[in-house]
Amino acid sequence: MLIDLVQNTLDGLMLGSSYALLALGFTLIFGVLRRANLSYGPAIMVGAYAATWVHLQFHAGFLALAAVTVLGAVATGVYVERLCFAPYAGGRRRTPEAAAIASMVGSFALWMQLEEAATLVLPRHLYSFPSFYGGPPLALGPLTVRVEYFAMLACAVAAAFGLHRLLTRTRFGLGVRAVIDNADAARLAGVNVPRVFLLVFALASALGGLAGYLIIAAHEQVTPMLGMWSTLKGLIAMMLGGLGSLPGAVVGALALGLMEAHSQWLAGPQYRDLVAYFVLFALLALRPAGLWSLLRSRSAGPA
Amino acid sequence: MDEFALGVLTNIGLFSFLALSAYLLLVAGEMSFGQQAFFGVGAYAAGMGTALWGWPLAGAVAFAMALGGGAAWLVGLPTIRLRGLYFAMATLAAAEMFRILFELLHFQREIDGELVGPDGTQGFRGIRWVLERGFEQHEFLALVWGLLAVALAAFALVERSRLGATLRMVGEDPELAAVFGVDVARLKLAVVAAAGALAALGGALYAHHNTYIEPRNFDIMLGVHSLAYALIGGLGTALGPLLGVLVDIGLLESLRVFQGWRMIVFGGLVAVLLIARPRGLLDEATVNRIRRALVRRPPVAP
Repeated sequence: MLIDLVQNTLDGLMLGSSYALLALGFTLIFGVLRRANLSYGPAIMVGAYAATWVHLQFHAGFLALAAVTVLGAVATGVYVERLCFAPYAGGRRRTPEAAAIASMVGSFALWMQLEEAATLVLPRHLYSFPSFYGGPPLALGPLTVRVEYFAMLACAVAAAFGLHRLLTRTRFGLGVRAVIDNADAARLAGVNVPRVFLLVFALASALGGLAGYLIIAAHEQVTPMLGMWSTLKGLIAMMLGGLGSLPGAVVGALALGLMEAHSQWLAGPQYRDLVAYFVLFALLALRPAGLWSLLRSRSAGPA
Repeated sequence: MDEFALGVLTNIGLFSFLALSAYLLLVAGEMSFGQQAFFGVGAYAAGMGTALWGWPLAGAVAFAMALGGGAAWLVGLPTIRLRGLYFAMATLAAAEMFRILFELLHFQREIDGELVGPDGTQGFRGIRWVLERGFEQHEFLALVWGLLAVALAAFALVERSRLGATLRMVGEDPELAAVFGVDVARLKLAVVAAAGALAALGGALYAHHNTYIEPRNFDIMLGVHSLAYALIGGLGTALGPLLGVLVDIGLLESLRVFQGWRMIVFGGLVAVLLIARPRGLLDEATVNRIRRALVRRPPVAP
């Protein structure tokens, strides 16, 4: 019983690290543009489909497949940015709210487009995808951890750390933070705001592509559901942690993973999703700033 | 008219209720990802009313609307002060909870030697009131569009009234509205309940048109589609959402030319269209221009 509890917690953390990679990219886009990109997951799916196609045609190695996934996601992410986000950046008559709604609905429209395009190229319902690791799972006494998930955890940690360094230690990061603080002031100070938006999109999509590759390699299959799955999990993790906060995205993602692993073990998959949505709903109603703000105010005391 | 055309026209009418419900919320300044839940509540409630309990259609529809409005009100109560993406995500979470509850709902009874009622993920079949009463397809079509006309007339009345002006003010600038003495939270809650009832009306009719419903009919895809319909059509008039539905279901889904390419065309079209018109084809400015053009008449000589 105790072993199960520990094993489930471990599984939850591993699952949560895949959500963390998704949520980091989502949060990066939302933090900078203040607009949600519903096509985030579908761009990942396009990358995954491109990799599947390359796998079927050429039986390429895992590094090539990972590169194709990331490139596919980045190219699609840039396409979405150009069509759904860039046009609303300036504009005097447009309020931020109107731009947010138009971008969101536009990115949803492209989601539909990308999903149909992907299924035209690869029409089957499910394609198998090779893992990068063929051996048995790691055993730590009675506990087991799959190597694929361990790699996911390592990548999530590295990505969170690297992103933090990028934002705090580089000139590009300075520009990004200036845009987050006040886009108009940043523009006046000489920051090329549209370029920052585009690069942030490319960076977030690259993170998403990496997440996508690791996820399909761990699941060893690709389905058209990957797009919706990635968008939903990324969005939920981001909202749970606290909108627009990078540490919040990681906290929210791990919390979602833990919650899902435990409730699935206790009550089955339907209740797993029910619990996740209920917690999200309750948290938004009671504490919209998210879990991270809760943790921070606890440790720092009332500010 | 052949059966295919009748089916398409009925579907346009049915989904217009859902698009109108999303439109109503957008006008009040809220974006919901969850109107499909109340469409689903309406479908299940009305289906159970006629198929399980033997109610007449009118009673079942009224019950569905009350339940849909009540459910929307309950969801709105803790979430109404949230804005933007927060409200959208809260409604999405609520709607997914409803969908999973439909999956867990097993309530079957034997009627005429056949098990009828919601059976979890297996869906709810045998909502045959319309068929059993000998209604023709075109008669049901007339019913759907008649009720839609009533809803549109109600919208037109509200838009012309003080309430309509207040609603648009709340949507444009809630703080300003509060300064003018509008109880913003209460008004929005009423809007949420009305939008829920409207979606439930569509759902109730949808269940009786299809005779079979299942939980995944009411997933997030349906909700975001209805939002897209309202926004493509335009936020200036209640005819906007209808136009949105017409473009998607009427034009793309029904024309065989687009088979397999429908979403590629529709998706690109919507994205490009929104660049030119971020508040839809029939946005507020366009509607005002049309209205002025219609009202202005040459001066009559005395």
